[in-house]
Amino acid sequence: MNTVWALAGVVIKELYRRKDFYVLFVLTAVMTLLMGSITFFNDPRIASYLKDICLLLIWISALVIAITTTARQIPAERENRTIFPLLAKPVTRGQVVAGKFLGCWLASGIALGVFYLFFGVVSASREHDLAVIQYLQALWLHWVMLAIVVGLALLGSLVFAAPSSNATICFIVVLGILLLGRHLNQVALQQPEPLRTVVYSIYFLIPHLEWYDIRDLLLYDHPGLRWTDCLLATLYAGVYTAMLLLGAWLLFRRKPLHA
Amino acid sequence: MEVILETRDLRVEYRAQNGQGKKVAVKGLNLKVHAGEVFGFLGPNGAGKTTTMNVLLGFVHATAGDAYLFGVNVREPIARQRIGYLPELTYYYKFLTAEELLRFYARLFGIPRAEADRRIDQLLRLVELEAARKRPIKTYSKGMQQRVGLAQALINDPDLLILDEPTSGLDPLGRMKVREIIQRLKNEGKTVFFSSHELGEVETVCDRVAIINQGELKVEDRVSALVEKHQANLEQIFLSLIGYQAEVTA
Amino acid sequence: MNRPVRHSLLLLLLASACFTLATLLQPRVATWGQRHAADSLMKVVLGDGRRLFANHFFVQADVTFHSGYYPSIFDRDQAPKGTRHLTASPEDHEEHDHEPPDPGREKDEDHSGHACEMSFLGPPRDWIEAFGRRFMVTEHTHLKGGKEREMLPWLKISAELDPQRVETYTVASYWLRNLGKFQEAERFLREGLRNNPKSYEILFELGRLYNENLQDPNRARNVWELGVRCWDERESKKDKPDLLALDELTVHLADLEEKAGNLARAIEWLQRALRASPRPEAVQERIEDLQRRLAAGGSRPSP
Repeated sequence: MNTVWALAGVVIKELYRRKDFYVLFVLTAVMTLLMGSITFFNDPRIASYLKDICLLLIWISALVIAITTTARQIPAERENRTIFPLLAKPVTRGQVVAGKFLGCWLASGIALGVFYLFFGVVSASREHDLAVIQYLQALWLHWVMLAIVVGLALLGSLVFAAPSSNATICFIVVLGILLLGRHLNQVALQQPEPLRTVVYSIYFLIPHLEWYDIRDLLLYDHPGLRWTDCLLATLYAGVYTAMLLLGAWLLFRRKPLHA
Repeated sequence: MEVILETRDLRVEYRAQNGQGKKVAVKGLNLKVHAGEVFGFLGPNGAGKTTTMNVLLGFVHATAGDAYLFGVNVREPIARQRIGYLPELTYYYKFLTAEELLRFYARLFGIPRAEADRRIDQLLRLVELEAARKRPIKTYSKGMQQRVGLAQALINDPDLLILDEPTSGLDPLGRMKVREIIQRLKNEGKTVFFSSHELGEVETVCDRVAIINQGELKVEDRVSALVEKHQANLEQIFLSLIGYQAEVTA
Repeated sequence: MNRPVRHSLLLLLLASACFTLATLLQPRVATWGQRHAADSLMKVVLGDGRRLFANHFFVQADVTFHSGYYPSIFDRDQAPKGTRHLTASPEDHEEHDHEPPDPGREKDEDHSGHACEMSFLGPPRDWIEAFGRRFMVTEHTHLKGGKEREMLPWLKISAELDPQRVETYTVASYWLRNLGKFQEAERFLREGLRNNPKSYEILFELGRLYNENLQDPNRARNVWELGVRCWDERESKKDKPDLLALDELTVHLADLEEKAGNLARAIEWLQRALRASPRPEAVQERIEDLQRRLAAGGSRPSP
């Protein structure tokens, strides 16, 4: 486990030494503050639109950080040849996969924490109130969802040759699931066989990332989720992430590396 | 004497790049390296040296046969607990400093913090990178990166050092320092296994050599014995073993 | 001549050349396509695609009104048609037995009309959908108690992107009036009129503002009469004119005249409304009532 944490630590260091996170955070902050400086119809109490825009930017930024950071991990190690001195140590390939996953997930979590802190400040400054339970649930579920995304990107990095193609495909898949995942069963029922079976199979196979998007509940001050639902969603994410990491390990362990 | 490194009928095949059939990179290699010796692993380009090293380090799986380090099959990660590896092309995490890199590798070996700190200080002094220890590696010159490589190869105080072309790209001063380190390790009873094209250096530092060509072992013997047997220097022996016919000049 | 001076002169020369080129090209560029007539950054950047965005933000206002409970594009067959529901007030629904738990939101348990339109979810088809509903808004509510202001930014942005979309102004004005922001409503409607000079819908809304909120029936009359003229200009020659709009304008004018004691004028407006009203018998009854009153007492303001 110490090895896995050591590998994760390197990934986290990489995140805060690269510019990506700072650029995205500054962009999010500037756009939010710019929108916040506008007063609509002389009413300074309007807050929902600002929270909506801020959360949308956070979601976009978090996905960009998670996917781009993860997509380049193993390919960059191979391209930069840092994989050789690494694997020449008593480190298994499984530990490399686990360490990269943990590092990317924690790094995404740290970035997410900073973003949500900013969101909390913006929200509280407008409404002079913060629904703490819903806020923490939103943050937790968002982070848990990123575990699946990181697992997907890590598996993709071992399937696709170039990090750019992996990242593009991951973005398309993740956005597709977020926008359409909930409705695939409806779409399936409107199709003739055998397409109906195919679409329904996809519906059951894909990780339902849209569950973790509870922005509407946060934006419109709905009551918080039941803790059992949060726990079940977390377990669901855990199972999917484990499957994706297992797939990544199975692919990586037999891959020849030529020094 | 304890056998530190051993290959038994090692065979490695690759799928040929043109997609037709297989290419045999290493054919039935039987090699033994004993404790405390400096062993040179020689061969022309494409002979199978790097492939053999890749198998020893676990980067590539053998098609047939086995390889052992300290009696442990190389497929086990624990086989690499007591080795240090210096690749030919040294690239490390550019965003880390030398100190952070060494600390990271020390952690992979499970070296306690206090001991790791002591070793890092010692190694950075040895490779003359103390002044640059807090600078990110991306600011280092090639020579400095090579020295960082040497430091990371020694972080776990290895009993076996595997060096792939250790003097490649170094200036004469750098080469001398590498030779000094190899000699020092030998004096400490460590085993050094390295591949090189610098036959002059090999002849100077190595106890035994193995010459490989087209995946097959051509000879494995003490340097002095080879020189005496063939009545030629190592370079001439090497060239004759790989089948190179020298042109007769008028 | 040393190097820095040479470089400075070169830069100056290049800047002069750029400026000259820009001055020469600008009149020519102005004649390229429609974009030269655009007066906002949005129009220049997005072109006609801005209408799609405008529609999106208008829908976003609707989503906000319903606190996130909204059909997706896959449920659109069951979605509410038109935008009248965006101006649905609590009085439009049946009475409830209980107080809604959230003071900022009103629960809609009506099983007819708008409520039926918004009951698009149906029973879950599988366990994934059943579980997924725990993470989404599944209750049909409307914002109330001042929280309707949260819709306004989306309506404003929608109007910016598509100033020719009239309903944006009318809907926003309705809610601004409800929130007591009469000056803002008037300003916004006037902006809408500048972008849509012959819009009887906006004129009607403006008239309501003057009549109901700013207590200025004379201005309301002027604006509504202008609205009727605009309607005649735009709609009267169509095969399917917008009779509902005419009905609203003429009935409101009739009410105004009746309140002012101008019964004859009120009867004229109601006779105009007779042709447009979906309930002509009710209008006819009113006309007869006014005629009786006119015959009985002459012009007297109604109580």
